[in-house]
Amino acid sequence: MLRFDLLLLLIVFAPFTFAALALAVGRLAGQHTGLLMILAAGTSFLGSLYLLMAGGTITFIGEWIPSLNVALSLRGDHFGLFFALVISGVGTLVAIYSLSYIPRLTPARIGRYYASLLVFMGAMLGVAVADDLILLFIFWEITSLSSFLLIGFWYEQETARAGALTALLVTALGGLSMLIGFLILGATAQTFSLRVLVEQPGLRERLLHSPLFPAALVCVLVGALTKSAQWPFHFWLPAAMVAPTPVSTYLHAATMVKAGIFLLGRFLPIFGASALWADILVPIGLTTFLLGAVEAFLDADLKGMLAKTTLATLGLITLLYGLGASAQDGLQILTHATYKGALFLVVGIVEHVTHTRDTRELGGLWIKMPATFLIGALAALSLAGMWPSSGFLAKEALYAQLLAGTSLPGWVPAALVLPVALVANAFLFATACRLVFGIFLGPPTAHARHAHEGTRGLLFSPAILAALSVGLGLVAPITSRLASYVSSAAGVALHLSLIPADPATFALSVLTFLLGTGIYLRRRTFSLMRARVASGPSMQGLWDCGIALVTALAVRFSVRWQSGSLRWYLAGSLTFTVGLSSLALTRAGISVLQVPINLREMTWYGGALCAMLGFTAILVARATNRLGAAIALTTNGFLTALLFVVYRSPDILLTQILIETVSTIFLLLVLYYLPAFRPDRLPPVQRLVNLAVAAAVGFTMFSFILLSTSPQFRELKNLGAEYLARSLTLAGGANAVNVIIVDFRAIDTNGEITVLVLVGLLVYGTLRARRKPA
Amino acid sequence: MSGDPVLRTVARAAAPLTLWVSFVIFLQGHNMPGGGFVAGVMAGAAGAMYLLAFGTVRVARFPWWKVSVVGLLIAVLTGTVPLLLGRPYMQHSIWHFDLPVIHRYELPTATFFDLGVYLIVLGTLMTIFVELAQEER
Repeated sequence: MLRFDLLLLLIVFAPFTFAALALAVGRLAGQHTGLLMILAAGTSFLGSLYLLMAGGTITFIGEWIPSLNVALSLRGDHFGLFFALVISGVGTLVAIYSLSYIPRLTPARIGRYYASLLVFMGAMLGVAVADDLILLFIFWEITSLSSFLLIGFWYEQETARAGALTALLVTALGGLSMLIGFLILGATAQTFSLRVLVEQPGLRERLLHSPLFPAALVCVLVGALTKSAQWPFHFWLPAAMVAPTPVSTYLHAATMVKAGIFLLGRFLPIFGASALWADILVPIGLTTFLLGAVEAFLDADLKGMLAKTTLATLGLITLLYGLGASAQDGLQILTHATYKGALFLVVGIVEHVTHTRDTRELGGLWIKMPATFLIGALAALSLAGMWPSSGFLAKEALYAQLLAGTSLPGWVPAALVLPVALVANAFLFATACRLVFGIFLGPPTAHARHAHEGTRGLLFSPAILAALSVGLGLVAPITSRLASYVSSAAGVALHLSLIPADPATFALSVLTFLLGTGIYLRRRTFSLMRARVASGPSMQGLWDCGIALVTALAVRFSVRWQSGSLRWYLAGSLTFTVGLSSLALTRAGISVLQVPINLREMTWYGGALCAMLGFTAILVARATNRLGAAIALTTNGFLTALLFVVYRSPDILLTQILIETVSTIFLLLVLYYLPAFRPDRLPPVQRLVNLAVAAAVGFTMFSFILLSTSPQFRELKNLGAEYLARSLTLAGGANAVNVIIVDFRAIDTNGEITVLVLVGLLVYGTLRARRKPA
Repeated sequence: MSGDPVLRTVARAAAPLTLWVSFVIFLQGHNMPGGGFVAGVMAGAAGAMYLLAFGTVRVARFPWWKVSVVGLLIAVLTGTVPLLLGRPYMQHSIWHFDLPVIHRYELPTATFFDLGVYLIVLGTLMTIFVELAQEER
């Protein structure tokens, strides 16, 4: 009997296991590590497919932090499993493609590549099926981190490092904002479970009327919009195109950028009733849709073009969610993942054989690369929204939705949405024309002359995606049922057909076609615009300014407060300690003056010891060379040990003597290497400040010791007596000091010894590394 | 930096003795003055004595940092065992043995934790000693 919930767990965690494996065997297997990824992705794909076909919603709930309402809960509903299917399916194809695409690098680096991809895939699958918001956030951040590694794969290049850093900073910042939103939600609703939030209308009502609700909504939306590269956070996506093409395909076309969209789909049932939802999402989605489409048409870089068309489509889906129209989200996601994945992989082949991505240097490739051309043309059909591809169905569905009106009110007039969508679609059509006519047709350029067809391994994955992209259009009735089944909206029925049923939507499609053709024919006029757009202010420039500002602030802070002067640090920490403990004493109303001091009780040897201690302490401070100071300090230490004899404390005595011995050896070892001691002439003010700090520390410590030893205050709460009473019975040891260390306060000791080990390793590492080159 | 003949003669006898005393202090630590920390420092002192007398070459050959890492492993594992048995982390228990000669012997599991502390203190001290002593001016 197959347990569905465990299968769900396997789908998410198998990639992580394989990632560790890929790291381990990557050194040996090299190129063949990709087979591991194919295996893992294939397993997750088949698992998701099985669960999706089995129907119903599968939940797995594991206990994690019950006191905070956080659980390790997964939920595989249709929408989530469909997303998992896209992730693992494209993951498999990308792994197959990578086998031929990634050049012969050092085996360890290839192992790291597949390990990062696998971790990314696991995290994406986690996002798809996570039910607990905290768990979702963790997976979400893992995708950001692993995408950083993947975008920066060619880390020798400055641009790759910069692009990876921008992507990480923007998405991680969004992720943190999202976490704040989740925490507000969790605190208000007393649950982190998406399922509970969706299923309990009463809870939702309470959320909507909470004063913190707008803040939570905005915070969560910032997270989703940064991830999906929506305006004004869109700039990281084109910058991330420095990644290897399989990575761009996987992260920036098929999966990661859709995570934000996916989150919107998850939150629509919870937040949708708020007016703020539509007010934010509709304008942002619309702006990104138009901006992405126009910029894609103007771009000269092939991958840049594709990245910007991705922006446009993501904007379109954001717009749809903003309008509350979630019925066709499955259709839009599936269409985009197939054709954009195919196009990215085709561009990868083109770059692989011609060594350029600049559209101005390409042309006439179809003679040398007929198969690549065919695949690219099929995928471009969908991008253009041409009959009979799935892109056509998606566009028709979009127009039908916009014509039918919207269910959510917003401040953007409905009359504006349809025309803008039409223009944006026309630009996408023109971009598709540029891709096909500009690269594959036309006169062959110098680069095209040396081109050759991609290998079978390279062609396989884009061929499948392109075939799916057109095939889904050809089987429109099946596609309708599939898209309705996997939509995040429950109980919807899409009616998609290749034969236009509604004359209005068909007229809009024809209009798009005509407008797009017009735009394409006037491309020279538009290319003049490109220069003007490129020189203007941009979000990227603004972002860079912000980063520079933060860096400058950090530098100034460090220079002022982290000066490296020991005296400064010591004075700071000591003053703080003294201040805090004095505050505690004042608030408790305890003063050292309340302790009766009778000097006559002092024995002669006590007095002599104290005098000698004071004398050696002054010697340390007045010493003119290091050796003198070391000797005085050691003497002081051993005299302190004598003090413990007076107080009959053998344990501490033993420790004190040994520590003094060992630290003297340390001092001698270190003194040998230190430069000559030059006591600097301090200005009088500084000397006074030092004196004040020293006096304050001395007085505070004196008060504390006196207070803690005076019988009057010891009776308040005598910890020592309790420890003594319990050490033998509870811990089987008569030595209370040691029992406290290893048993009662063992967890404290655990932390301390960990620090000790780290210190040892640091000394080992730094001193070794310093010696090595010599 | 190898010491003079007097130091060497003394060290040859005193270093093993110190090590022995440190071991005794460690074992009796649960009931009488002593314990893993002090014993570890004492063992470190014995090592330092050896180092000063005979130079760094022989002592440096031993990977002291591994001693501290092993110690941390022992300490953490001691704390983890109760966790696996469904009890809180670091909860110790007392083992009773009935042995032929001394009849009843009590071994608190805290002793294993203490052993970890001992090894960590020894390992860290020796790492720092050896690395500092190998520095060249």
